[in-house]
Amino acid sequence: MRKIERFSVLEYFVRSLFGILAIVLLSVIMLIAAIFLLSDQPLTSIASFFAGPFSSLYAIGNMIDHAVPLAIGAVGIALAMRSGNMNIGGEGQVYAGALVTTIVALALPGWGLTGILVALAASMLVSGSVATLSGWLRERWNVSDLITTFLLSNIIILVVDYMVAYPFVDPQTNLISTRFVDPSYHLLIILPPSQLNIALCIALVCVLVAHLFLYRSRTGFELRMVGDNEEFARYAGVDHRLYRILPMTLSGALYGLGGALAILGTYHATIKGFSAGMGWNALLVALIARFKPAAIIPAALFFAYIDAGARSAMFYSDVTYEIAYIVQAVIFFLISSSILQRIALGRRRV
Amino acid sequence: MTAAVRMKSITKIYPETQKRANDQVDFTLLPAEILSLAGENGAGKSTLMKILYGLISCDSGEILVHGQPFAHPSPIEAGKRGIGMVHQHFMLVEEFTVTENVVLGEESTAPTGLLDRRQNRQRVAALIEKHHFSLSPDDRVMSLSVGQKQQVEILKMLMRDVNILILDEPTSVLTQLEIDSLFTTLRKLQSHGVSIILITHKLHEIKNISDRVAVMREGRMVGVYETAEVSEEDIARAMMGDEGLSVVRKERRQLNLDPVLSVAHLSLIRHNQDHPLLDDISFTVHPGEILGCAAISGNGLGQLESVLLGNLPVSSGEILYHDEVLTSVHHTATTRKRGIPFVPSDRLFTGCSLSAKVSDNVIATSRKRFFPPFNVSRKEIESYTSHLIETYGISATPSAPIGTLSGGGIQKVILAREIERIRDLIICCEPTWGLDVNSTAFIHRQIVQLRNDGVGVLLISSNIDEILALADRLLVFSRGSVSARFSASQMASLTKEELSPFLLGKKRMEVEGA
Amino acid sequence: MIHTLTNLSVSAVTIMAPLLLAATGGLFTELSGMLNIALEGLMLVGAFASIAGVYFTDSILLGLLIGVVSSMLLSMILASVTLYLKANVFITGLAANLFASGITVILSFHLFGNRGVITFDTLKELPDLFTGFAQQMPLIAGYHVLTYLSVVLLVAAWVLLYRTRFGVRLRGVGFHEQALASLGLSPHRYRFAACVLSGLYAGLGGAALSLHLGSFVPNITAGRGWIALVAVFLGQRRPIGILLASFIFAFAEAFSNYAQGAWSVPSDFLLAIPYAISLFAIIFYSVFETRKKRIEYRKD
Repeated sequence: MRKIERFSVLEYFVRSLFGILAIVLLSVIMLIAAIFLLSDQPLTSIASFFAGPFSSLYAIGNMIDHAVPLAIGAVGIALAMRSGNMNIGGEGQVYAGALVTTIVALALPGWGLTGILVALAASMLVSGSVATLSGWLRERWNVSDLITTFLLSNIIILVVDYMVAYPFVDPQTNLISTRFVDPSYHLLIILPPSQLNIALCIALVCVLVAHLFLYRSRTGFELRMVGDNEEFARYAGVDHRLYRILPMTLSGALYGLGGALAILGTYHATIKGFSAGMGWNALLVALIARFKPAAIIPAALFFAYIDAGARSAMFYSDVTYEIAYIVQAVIFFLISSSILQRIALGRRRV
Repeated sequence: MTAAVRMKSITKIYPETQKRANDQVDFTLLPAEILSLAGENGAGKSTLMKILYGLISCDSGEILVHGQPFAHPSPIEAGKRGIGMVHQHFMLVEEFTVTENVVLGEESTAPTGLLDRRQNRQRVAALIEKHHFSLSPDDRVMSLSVGQKQQVEILKMLMRDVNILILDEPTSVLTQLEIDSLFTTLRKLQSHGVSIILITHKLHEIKNISDRVAVMREGRMVGVYETAEVSEEDIARAMMGDEGLSVVRKERRQLNLDPVLSVAHLSLIRHNQDHPLLDDISFTVHPGEILGCAAISGNGLGQLESVLLGNLPVSSGEILYHDEVLTSVHHTATTRKRGIPFVPSDRLFTGCSLSAKVSDNVIATSRKRFFPPFNVSRKEIESYTSHLIETYGISATPSAPIGTLSGGGIQKVILAREIERIRDLIICCEPTWGLDVNSTAFIHRQIVQLRNDGVGVLLISSNIDEILALADRLLVFSRGSVSARFSASQMASLTKEELSPFLLGKKRMEVEGA
Repeated sequence: MIHTLTNLSVSAVTIMAPLLLAATGGLFTELSGMLNIALEGLMLVGAFASIAGVYFTDSILLGLLIGVVSSMLLSMILASVTLYLKANVFITGLAANLFASGITVILSFHLFGNRGVITFDTLKELPDLFTGFAQQMPLIAGYHVLTYLSVVLLVAAWVLLYRTRFGVRLRGVGFHEQALASLGLSPHRYRFAACVLSGLYAGLGGAALSLHLGSFVPNITAGRGWIALVAVFLGQRRPIGILLASFIFAFAEAFSNYAQGAWSVPSDFLLAIPYAISLFAIIFYSVFETRKKRIEYRKD
């Protein structure tokens, strides 16, 4: 009996791999078709799209570096979604986390590692609180978290925009940006000359911890119970109210962390609008990963690859960057269809 | 005379459970007759009727309607052939008015293309008038009583000129008055030439209303009788087979220990209800006994369960576990936090998480044991689940989603899970509802075994046979209050006939204490 | 004071038009029981396609038609994938938004060689109606044609939803899908139609945005599709409520525009006003509703 089961798990794995490959293949075909349609030099465009991200260590490192905040944000989203909560305010929470880190770093120059920890903690606290508010509003007054996270995020973006443009603006640059943080706050680069830094390790740790938390801890188990069937969780004595708030806090905090690490590792200053898209993209990464922490790493890398490919194609040929959106959208349409999935997995009915 | 419906050797196997829901079933409905389709829960009668109405397709067999082959049934096709079905769970849009519901799909429109609201209303009003229903065409369905909602369902069918009407358990939620009026309506429809199929398992109703009765058991048609020629006992025997009512043998035990569970003066009042949902309920459960709570559904058992689960705050009274207050006016939900084993009536949505693994469902109510608070290995969880699966003879693997199991399998997992944590009390609500004979017998054996081991069992069930077979003492509920109490000595000779006036609320017993 | 208020209201009505159109579109899907978060993308496609259409055909009518057909096409893809390929409506909605923001920029680059702001100098303007009465009755006269259309189409939506066979069935699907299915009506067909209608309305909303402005900016909708969704919730899924909610939001935006010129408050804060007002409105509404429910529950 055990043997049969193992075989079926292996078979399931092979089939789902096959399914994902089929979807990737299909979207690659669509991408190539789109490039032929839009580009005057399609072969150059295709080559630079697919090979560009791997053309040098520099390119590879930067691609992975871009995946880092996405992965961290996606871990948070996975926790929120697995518990039946919704947080689409990532844009604001990432941006706020970035600004808070910058402010702390500017306020405490030369604090080194301690300063980094304080800055990260502060950004997680602020972004976490914002998401907690949405969670609490839903728990207490049944206010749709979908709507409050979105509206709060828009307000925060404007507030941060203001902070960057006025109180904290660096008058010596042409950009609307804060001053650069002290070099003692820069995270260690691990793949020079690229910008890949030890934030990658933090992202990996986040994924690992989230995986263990979800599948190996009582709290994680209860969180999944609430997400799967809240009625059942209540029946089994789980305090379901806690799980309307805690996962929101965690997802907000992780968004904040993602933004903070992007500052300390990559940007070193909050530039107006620098994180635009990060929140949505992290949500998309989590969706591709189907809210499974282990799948977030490949999903984030894949996402970053398409992004880098589109950038490279834009740089070396006549294709616009937005082609990445099209590819991503097509993948979403395909990946979210449970019919296609079932065909890929070879199951006839459920 | 051609039959209204003829179904020949219908076979249906559900792919999910591989259960033969219908096995070579032959079925005939004559014109203008009222036929009862009887059988226990899970006998296959609903499946047969869903096939006729086109909601599901059969694997093999042939259907003739008024002598014409009915090859590809679907609800639309069924409607065109004059077949209508009133479902057990009403298919009504609560937010719409009676008129809107009745004409839905058959709306009259003015030449402009807009709805002709006056004409729609008149059509419905005329129909109401003709059948003497107590409805107004402008009422919103959500404000109606259950009986009225059923009338709306029947109106929907009448609007479509059905001549074959299927009613699925139509009386299960009705009061006696409403049942009487339903039966009057059905007889009148019959006199207009409508053939009626009544899916039911209530014997006295079968005798009362139908011309013929077709009995199903375990997916087969076991007999068709002229109702006048058979007694209720005959029908019951046909429904239940040879093993009959004696599912388990009871051994009386004399125990005078302190109660494990006490419920004192519990009331549940809602301002939009004309009578209390629960009215001054008091009882105790002692170790080593099964206390039965019986009622026809809709008479307070559901509310009692909700209160015990902590889903509804009580208006007065309290619930004690030994001396500890679990639920009172200021407290709800502590029953579950206290971890009292509980088998809920809604096993699919309250009792388990369908998409989660069997193993996760098994440990869901003993989380502290398996996650103290971390557990890096899942081996312990898997082996514990395998152990339960083996002990309770469940056909499943630990890592399969529980939703892939049969209803009986799911209930066994739930029961096994709860039994494993029993100290001295378990609450079981409708533990065998809709299960096949074998699973039912298994669960009954388990419950009696628990009682013999000294556990206090609170058995809440609307299945009267089950209550009579299992309970040591009995409380009968009617309209939210206790209409009768039977002590252990009275239980020995209690029959269904003696019980039914209390169930129906026609008689009340004025006894204090239990 | 009165004068300012009148001016604010006048500009609020103009601002309201795209929002109201999109929200009415969202009403169809919402009532049919679908969460439509793709309003943003549908608006965006409508905004781009219509202005490009007007530019190339030199006709407002043809331009509007092109805009509306484009957004309806996207909504059909959305509906097909969601309903017939059984996909999660949240994910497909996000995908549609992503697709819209990609395709508009790509096409604008290929058609106009520009990925940024495109201003059309020679573009036909939306005609204003009743300009003769604008002096006497500034609140109701002198707006561009799509503003009037937005209100007319709201009434049309009301008639369609509440006074036709189609609309009653569509709402029925949203309330109780199986009730319709048991009568042999296909819920998917009504959802599909609702989705296409929302494409039509949201596309027009987008057109009202770009044609009024006379230019196209990437992400010109700037969250209006989302706000439209908020308006549907806030308006309690009723046409009149939606009108009110849209107006409140538009008024807040008009106020913020006015204040940017009149006061020396940083514009970012003023831009946040509409969002803040929506946020408070939805919170108050939810508090009120929950309270009401709790009182009903507790009362003897």
